[in-house]
Amino acid sequence: MLLFRGPHWDRGLSPHELQAAMDKVMAWFEGLNARGKVKAGQPLSAQGRIISGGNGNLVVDGPFAESKEAVGGYLVLQADDLNEAVEIARSMPTLKHGISVEVRPILAECPIFERHREVLQRAKEQLWPAAAA
Amino acid sequence: MSTSTAKSDYLLLFRGNVWDKGLSPAQLQKVVSDWMAWFERLKEEGKCLGGHPLEDEGKVVSGKQRTVADGPFAESKEAIGGYFYLTVANENEAIEIAKQCPGLEYGSVVEVRPVAEICSIKQHAEEYSSGQLAGATA
Repeated sequence: MLLFRGPHWDRGLSPHELQAAMDKVMAWFEGLNARGKVKAGQPLSAQGRIISGGNGNLVVDGPFAESKEAVGGYLVLQADDLNEAVEIARSMPTLKHGISVEVRPILAECPIFERHREVLQRAKEQLWPAAAA
Repeated sequence: MSTSTAKSDYLLLFRGNVWDKGLSPAQLQKVVSDWMAWFERLKEEGKCLGGHPLEDEGKVVSGKQRTVADGPFAESKEAIGGYFYLTVANENEAIEIAKQCPGLEYGSVVEVRPVAEICSIKQHAEEYSSGQLAGATA
């Protein structure tokens, strides 16, 4: 999964530069898509909410709009390995305008669950005794 | 209030990937089974189209030189540990689902983000170019 961070890379670009940058991004995306590398991907709206607190009782607007760390969109890639995903990320045209791309392998199982495999097994046995037997 | 029945899509980003530290085996067992049951129920209800955990390891690519660095994900409260893709009636429903996240009581944070039809920057670019066009033909 590629997470695109820094959704304000367009600031300070002239309309002409912006149009040229967007054309490059679209061509990049279409090229990946034509090669069968894209499984999913969408931009995210800046208007979101952050939920926290013991029972989810804290709801605030977020992410902080000015943050360079804010995630502005994502792509789920079908890549052979992490190297290929990194090379695809490096070919992203707007890197020169200051965005960063986080490259994260998608897992079949949560690493937190993985760390507690035995606990998970006991939970399964309790939830579905017949299947676990 | 809108009476629209159109479905809208949201991404839930789960932040914090070390919230399991210090939990007792009983607490772990409960949160793991609650989380699995929550995911399965949302899928059965047709509200969650999919979701995945993300590996703690990863890379960050940035800068004009396209530098590749190891991601500092392992111990961060901010790190994104996984996501759900939701299709729900409206934002309130997405928030209500986020509030059900079993990790919340152990310090996990859920970011609820509407999925956009079109990138806001692309939209700006199109507005610019149509504005230019209008200027040229005026």
